[in-house]
Amino acid sequence: MSPTPRYGEPQERDWNALSDAEFRAIVRAEIEQHYPSELRYAPRRLLWTEQSAWIRRLLARRWIAPGWPVAMGGMGLGPLKQIIFMEEHERWGAAYYREHGVVQVGPVIMRFGTPEQQDRWLPPVLRAEHHWAQGYSEPEAGSDLASLRTRARIGPGNPGEYVVDGQKIWTTMAHAATHIYFLARTDPEAKKQAGISFLLSAIDAPGITVRPIRDIAGHSELCEVFFDGVRVPVENRIGDENAGWTIAKSLLGHERITVGSPSSCEYGLELLRGLARDRGSFERPVFRDRYAALALDVEHIRDAYAGYKDLVARGEEIGPDVSMLKILSSETFAAIADLIVETAGEEGGLGGDGGALASFYRARPMLIYAGSNEIQRNIIATAVLGLPRG
Amino acid sequence: MHTLRESEVGLDLLSDVARSFCTRDAVRVRALRDAGGEVDRAMWGRLADNGWLSILVPEELGGAGIGVDAVAIVARALGRGAFPEPFAAAGVLAPVVLAAAGDAKRLAAVLAGEALVGVGWRPGVTVEADGRLRGETRFIGVAGADAYVVAARGEAGLGLYWVDAGWVETAEPRADGTRTARVRLDGRAATELVAPGGGAEALLDGAVDVARVAVSAELIGVADAALELTLEYLRQRHQFGRPIGSFQALQHRAVDMWMARELAAAALQSAVAVFVDPESAVVTRARAASGLKARAVHAVQLVCTGALQCHGAIGFTDEYDLGLYLNRALALAPWLGNATEQRRRWLELSR
Repeated sequence: MSPTPRYGEPQERDWNALSDAEFRAIVRAEIEQHYPSELRYAPRRLLWTEQSAWIRRLLARRWIAPGWPVAMGGMGLGPLKQIIFMEEHERWGAAYYREHGVVQVGPVIMRFGTPEQQDRWLPPVLRAEHHWAQGYSEPEAGSDLASLRTRARIGPGNPGEYVVDGQKIWTTMAHAATHIYFLARTDPEAKKQAGISFLLSAIDAPGITVRPIRDIAGHSELCEVFFDGVRVPVENRIGDENAGWTIAKSLLGHERITVGSPSSCEYGLELLRGLARDRGSFERPVFRDRYAALALDVEHIRDAYAGYKDLVARGEEIGPDVSMLKILSSETFAAIADLIVETAGEEGGLGGDGGALASFYRARPMLIYAGSNEIQRNIIATAVLGLPRG
Repeated sequence: MHTLRESEVGLDLLSDVARSFCTRDAVRVRALRDAGGEVDRAMWGRLADNGWLSILVPEELGGAGIGVDAVAIVARALGRGAFPEPFAAAGVLAPVVLAAAGDAKRLAAVLAGEALVGVGWRPGVTVEADGRLRGETRFIGVAGADAYVVAARGEAGLGLYWVDAGWVETAEPRADGTRTARVRLDGRAATELVAPGGGAEALLDGAVDVARVAVSAELIGVADAALELTLEYLRQRHQFGRPIGSFQALQHRAVDMWMARELAAAALQSAVAVFVDPESAVVTRARAASGLKARAVHAVQLVCTGALQCHGAIGFTDEYDLGLYLNRALALAPWLGNATEQRRRWLELSR
C-alpha cells in the first residue's frame, strides 16, 4: 500500500484516515491493555530502563514517533491527533514517551540537518536506542538563555572539530541519556543571539561529566553537565554555524499547547476529592467554597484549552497568547496542591512519594520550567497586549 | 427584527452591527444617571427595532427564534458600550418568560419595545385562595416598568401573575445609577399567567439561567472595554521618562487582567454551545450558566479594579469613563446571584 519509509517500518494503517474518535479509541485500548499498571501516575520521571516493557510495546506497534512523517518512520499524525495521542496517556496516568530525540532534536534534524545527518541520527531514535538530553540552561543563563557562555572553538590544528568548554545545568535526565544536544557560543563577538550554534554529542564523550542534582523532593531528575575540552566533530553541528538560536526557537505552536494541558490540574483535583471524602472535608462550607473555586478554574481552563485545540484542528496558527494555558494550568495545579496539603492536616508534613506532598513537589517546578511564568507574562505583555518593552 | 431573521447564519455580521451600534456615548449615560436613572425609552425602542428583544422568542410568537449565541453577542456589545439599558432583565428574561407562558398578546407589546416588563422571580410572594397577591419581591433588575411578572406561591405550587405597575413599586438605586424595582403587594388582584402547579418553577429556572448567560456576556463586554482603556493608558501615559506600560509590575497585572477576561470568554463560548444544543439537559444548562456567571463576575471585578489601580487617581474621577464600567460591573455582579453563590450552585449541580 504505502511505499517503504526511508527509516523504520511502514505503519499498520493511515491513522489520519480515521476519525478522531476512532483513533482515540485505538490509542485508549492499547494503553489500557498494555501500559504496566505499576507505572501509572508515577510521582517522578521514570528512567528508560524502568519503562522498558512499555517501550518494547511501542516499538512493536511502531508508535515511537507519533509526530514524525510516515516516510521517516513515524506515525505521521496530524497536530490534533498528536494531541489526542498525548491526552490518552495523561488520562491513564501513563508516562508519555516524551523522549527528546523524538519530540525535539529529531524534528530539528529533519528540518535543518543534511541527509547524512538524518541517516546517522534518526534511525537510533526510532529504535529507542538513543535517549537525548537537552543542554540549554547554564548557571548564568536561565531565563536569559541567549547569554549562555559554553564555548565551542574550532580546535587548534584541526579544522574538522570543535573543542567545547563550559557548563550546562538543569539538564533533565542527563544521567539516563546516551546523547546530548546543546547550544554553544561559536562567535563571542556577535550580538548574543547571533553567535550560537546547535551541536550534538554522545554523552560519554571524553571530557563530559554528568552530575545529578538531588532536588528538595529527594529525586534526581536534573543534572549538571560539564564540558572540559570535549571534541565535537563539525559534522555534528546542525544547520549553519551561528544559526543555533533560530533552530532552537523553531518549536511548533501546537507543541506549546501541550505544556498548558490541564491534565495535571484534573489529576490533582481527583486526588483532592478522594482525600476530602476520606476526611469529611466536604461537610465544611469553607472547604466546599475553596474546592468549588478551584474545580471551576479547572473546568474553564479546559474550555480555553479546547478552544486552542479547535484552532489546531482547523490548521490555524497558534500565537504567543497560548502561553496563557501554561500559566493558568500550572498556577491552578499549585493551588490545588496547596489545598491537598492543608486538607491532609498533620499528615501534610509527612514525606514519601505517595504522600500529600507529592503534588506540591510536582507542581512547583511547573511554575519555573519551559519559561518561568514571569517570563511568559513578559512575552504576553509585549507580544500579545502590545505594551512597550521594559 | 426583520434584518435579524434574515441573518440566521450571520453571527459575524450581527457582531459587527452590534459593535458599531453600541459605541460608548458617555454623555448620554451620565445624563440618564444624573436625571435619576429612568430607562431611556427612546433607546429601548431602538433596541426593539434592532430585533434584539425578540432573539429567543419563537417565530410563531412573533420572535426571531435565534439562539443564545446571538443574545451573547448583543449583550457583550452592550456591555462594551456601557449601555445602562436593562437588556438581560427586560430584553431577555421577560420575553423568555412570557413566551414560555404562551402569552402572545402581552409578548407582542414587549417585543415592540412598547411595554417595559420586569420579572419578580425570587420567593417572597404568596397567592391567596381568591387570587390576591401578598408579599414582596426585590432585585428585579429594572424599575419604572409598565408591568411586572411576579412568581407567587399558592397551595398548589408556584404560579405566575401579571401585575400592572404604578402603585406597587419603590425603586432602589444601583451602583451605576440605574434602578431596580422592589415590588410590594398587599392583597391586590392580579392576572394569572400560569396557574399554581402549572410548571412555573421549571419555566422560571430555565429563563433565569438564560438571563444569567446574558448578563455574564454583558459583564464580559464591560471587562473588554475596561481592559482596552487600560492597555491604551499604559501605552500612552509617561512617568520617569518612560511609558508606564513598560514597567513589569504593571505588565504582569495587565496580563492577569487579560487572562481573566480570556478565561471568561472561553467559558462564555462553552456555555453558549451548551445552550444552543437542543439536546442539552436542564441540569447541564443550569450548571453551565452558574459556572459562567461566577467566572464572568470574577473576571470583570479583577479587570475593573485592576484597571482602576493601573490608572491611578484619574481612574477614580467621574470625568474619566472607566468609572462607568466599574460601576456597571458593581451593579450587575450580584444580580441573579454573585460569584460565591453561583460557585456553590455549580458545585451542587456538579455532583
